[in-house]
Amino acid sequence: MKKKDKMTPFIILMLIPGVGFIVFFIGSSISITVLQSLGFFNMMGESGFTLGYWKSILSSREAIDSLLFSLRMGILSSVGTVLVAFPLALFFRKSGPAKGMLGSIIKVPLFIPALVAAFLILNLISYHGLINTTLMRLNIIDEPLRMLNDSFGWGVITIQIWKNLPFVLLILMSAISSIRDDTIDAARNLGAGYWSVLFRIYIPLAMPGILVAMILMFIKAFGDFPITSVAGPVYPSSVANRMQIMANLYQEWNQAAVLGVIIIITTFFVIWAYSRFAELVQGGA
Amino acid sequence: MDKTMAMPLYLIKKRRIKRFYLMITLFFVIIQLLWVGIPIFMAIMWSLVNPDDAWSYPNLIPPSFSLEQWRYVFNYTNIARALKTSYSIAPLAVILSFLLSLPTSYVLGRKDIPGKKVFMLVVLLPMIMPGMVVALFLSRVFNLMGLSQTFLGLVLAHTLMSMPYMIRVMTTSFASIPQDVIDAAENLGAGTFVKIKDIFLPMIRPGLIAGMIFAFTTSIEEFNLTFIIGTPTFETIPTILYSFMGYNFIRTNASVVSLLMMTPNIIMLFIVERFLKSDYLSASLGKM
Repeated sequence: MKKKDKMTPFIILMLIPGVGFIVFFIGSSISITVLQSLGFFNMMGESGFTLGYWKSILSSREAIDSLLFSLRMGILSSVGTVLVAFPLALFFRKSGPAKGMLGSIIKVPLFIPALVAAFLILNLISYHGLINTTLMRLNIIDEPLRMLNDSFGWGVITIQIWKNLPFVLLILMSAISSIRDDTIDAARNLGAGYWSVLFRIYIPLAMPGILVAMILMFIKAFGDFPITSVAGPVYPSSVANRMQIMANLYQEWNQAAVLGVIIIITTFFVIWAYSRFAELVQGGA
Repeated sequence: MDKTMAMPLYLIKKRRIKRFYLMITLFFVIIQLLWVGIPIFMAIMWSLVNPDDAWSYPNLIPPSFSLEQWRYVFNYTNIARALKTSYSIAPLAVILSFLLSLPTSYVLGRKDIPGKKVFMLVVLLPMIMPGMVVALFLSRVFNLMGLSQTFLGLVLAHTLMSMPYMIRVMTTSFASIPQDVIDAAENLGAGTFVKIKDIFLPMIRPGLIAGMIFAFTTSIEEFNLTFIIGTPTFETIPTILYSFMGYNFIRTNASVVSLLMMTPNIIMLFIVERFLKSDYLSASLGKM
């Protein structure tokens, strides 16, 4: 058995270029965000501790609306993508004819940049886009449906699902592939139907994978900037959009920093909740 | 007598199940082709619209095609310069992130150090942290260091964003080298240099190529940091696409730029698929 290695100076030296580089840049930007949200470290004007920026953000109707909107986008995008991806992942569990090719096609959106994905889907769901034109030609609707820049954010969710389906699918497929055939066969032998195999075996055993997929999707959709700014509603904008406008347009860096801290805290909270939940799930199984 | 009549019941059932699976596969293939194909097809259509023969509402495809849009984009927009900027930042970011990641990946893949899990998580930070927050406040750090609106600043920012992929993929490949091989080489008297040349480099090569491709595409796609740190001095393909889709939405221009941006990426996807096991895909995408 290999014994644990010690942290020799050599190992520390080896870690510095990679970990050090990341810690330096990410760490400094997180610290500046936190400090500026509390009134310190202003580039111009005087600095000093104050909670005023937090108060003005938390009492601003627009900021709260943006926050709620981004939360909704995060939750619905992650739930939606997993709902679409899970049946596909089940289907890919067993190899079969044409599945190799299908697997390649399905992964295409993974390598399509978010902005391009937004543009591609926008062509379909815009006011005079393909879907509306087709539906009207078939006389299913009389007037084009508003799917883009709608106030609820369906356009954003559609783009998120399209773009991130392969990514979530890969995670779910690796979770499902670790379920052994014996388990399924045993359940079937003992008289379990398709549905109870699904709900009692596949879903519980794939739960860690499902959770990871949902967490990563939530983080992506919650902090998203380009997709929401292209396909999202005019009001409210996403938190990231509002933060960028505050910082670059109004030069209100302290208030932007407050929004930044809120995004960071939400992200870390979700990851923390996931790790607790994963422990629970694994402990129960 | 009919052939099926002679067959036992379970064989007929098996055949039916097989046919059912084939039908489902076919169904999924068609759905997938539409799901991925139609959006790309529409973008190609939009990039081929003839400006003299407008494509308007009731038509499902343009009445006539021309390459006029492509000519227009290359002659009257900054796309040529943006392409040059994007494709000169990306290789530099790939090389830099490779050099920075190599020692770290070696330690994380081969050594069993205390706090390894924490390091693995820290390394993922650029991927996990919301892009816009990092972009905005990294631009403050860059302002202090005089790196804002500089080429070097953009290369460093892109390096930062591609490092999680690089480190994760290379760590996985370092970890997959069997210890026996290294022990055997040491027994036969191999020094550090020989070990690196004849064992480590050949054995991590697939991972290295995968990591480089991921780093490259990350750099080509990177929008948030480039938008905040580079605009207006530098324009890359994503920021120019954003400007085409934002305040002045020109669908035909946007479709040309979209195609320019995604074609190399999709080709690279198939290279990765051909040469590498899919493990690398999931490893780099943060299968925790």
